[in-house]
Amino acid sequence: MRLTSVLSVPFAMVGRRTLDIATEMGGMTLMAGAILRRLFPPRVDGAELMRNLYNVGVKSFPIILVTGVFVGAIMVIQAGLYVEKYEATGFIGWGAGFATLREVSPIMIALMFNGRVGAKNTAEIGTMKVTEQVDALRTLAIDPVSYLIMPRFIAMVVMMTLLVVVGDATALIGGAFTSQFLLGVDVQLFFRSFVDLIHLEDFLLGVYKAITFGIAVGVVSCHFGITVTGGAVGVGRAVNDSVVASAIWIFVLNYVVTTLII
Amino acid sequence: MQVTHVEVPRDGVRIRCQGVSKYYRRTAVLDAVDLEVRDGTMLGLIGPGAAGKSLLVKIICGLVAPDEGHVFIDDIDVTRLRERELQALRMRLGMVFQNYALFDFMNVGENIALPLRMEGRSSETSIRNRVAEVLEQVALPGIQDKMPRELSGGMKKRVSFVRAVVRRPPIVIYDDPTGGLDPVTSAKIFRLLSDMKAQGTTSITISHDLDGIRPLCDQWLLIEHGKTLFSGDTSAIDQCETPYVRQFWRGEPA
Repeated sequence: MRLTSVLSVPFAMVGRRTLDIATEMGGMTLMAGAILRRLFPPRVDGAELMRNLYNVGVKSFPIILVTGVFVGAIMVIQAGLYVEKYEATGFIGWGAGFATLREVSPIMIALMFNGRVGAKNTAEIGTMKVTEQVDALRTLAIDPVSYLIMPRFIAMVVMMTLLVVVGDATALIGGAFTSQFLLGVDVQLFFRSFVDLIHLEDFLLGVYKAITFGIAVGVVSCHFGITVTGGAVGVGRAVNDSVVASAIWIFVLNYVVTTLII
Repeated sequence: MQVTHVEVPRDGVRIRCQGVSKYYRRTAVLDAVDLEVRDGTMLGLIGPGAAGKSLLVKIICGLVAPDEGHVFIDDIDVTRLRERELQALRMRLGMVFQNYALFDFMNVGENIALPLRMEGRSSETSIRNRVAEVLEQVALPGIQDKMPRELSGGMKKRVSFVRAVVRRPPIVIYDDPTGGLDPVTSAKIFRLLSDMKAQGTTSITISHDLDGIRPLCDQWLLIEHGKTLFSGDTSAIDQCETPYVRQFWRGEPA
């Protein structure tokens, strides 16, 4: 092999990867555009929406409750190191609540949601694609975006937001009990400092983040599902790509929303 | 099953392909294919595996865009339509897929009812009655609540058939309707195809069971590696002297 062709290999690899990323970004933008067009006026099948709200939201409750409790507990344990050192027990509710509502709860719940709901969504749509069920919808004169994707997207945004609110509540309960039993700080004191020092904006920042994370997981998981090629192997690859891409979007959007609102 | 009649083109040709080609990585998988299907007739699309038959019918339905050529359904150029315009045209079409393509998250009743529900013209009661009626016609009464995974291959084929024709489309495409089925079930499917033809349906049938479709088809198109090897009626293919066509038509070993 000639030296010039050997030297060109890394450039070719970088170029190919860049093109792949650009293709996926373009695909996600087209998917977002297709969803947006069907939102005004909304074109959604009611029965499919209800089915998805149940699958996405109600079935995610147990995992979100567990995540929330442990997020709250860990925040109290971490804050506890300084609370004990500086004898600032009156601030434990504020310290744990501030970080939980603004950052940790939305991020952790979004990542869990991505792993459970986003991955399942990509796998379901992808399997429908490779088994020609999406083509069957089209031959029956049914728009796959309106029928398949819109109910899933709306369910993901609505339920992601609700689940973060539920996660916030369980995190606070978990944090309060951890502070009582591990640090000996009374539950009432925990909630008093929380109520006195936490503002509505702290809670709303988490809610805004949840909405953007829900949009990201919805668009990304649907895009990777509907563009699957190559049978079962292709579905596996798409699920993997979808989870990774959604996680990256969650971190990027977290940074953007935090920067814009602070 | 009654067929909905829409205005037929003056020359009687409901499906027309002109020079349809499709390339994958510069290799032609369909090479300038022409075909015509007249109103109320059935075209047998035959050829060995991977010849491009399923791809051709997907192009006809507008599921895949050709790289060259045109497809006309009732004189409307499918290749120039946007997705939303295609949806309107597909109200005239039904397609039975090779691998059934039943929606696995819905039961049989919901699968069959979906096209009627999305049409939005019928009440829930009349949809339920219609589903029961068509299942009765394909000898599968009372299986509305079963999920597709609970059905045998033959039952899935019949449910897929019923879902494609429940809206009474005037044009139906059957992609290997008897593939992998036992002779008794295949005979039942061919009887359904015959009934549909008797109702005036225009259709294209892909099949490897030549004995089964021979009495049904009026025209034949034999393709291999995407190229047309024969196009004509039953008497012409009977008399065709091209060695490969003779061999394929008579099922003789190479």
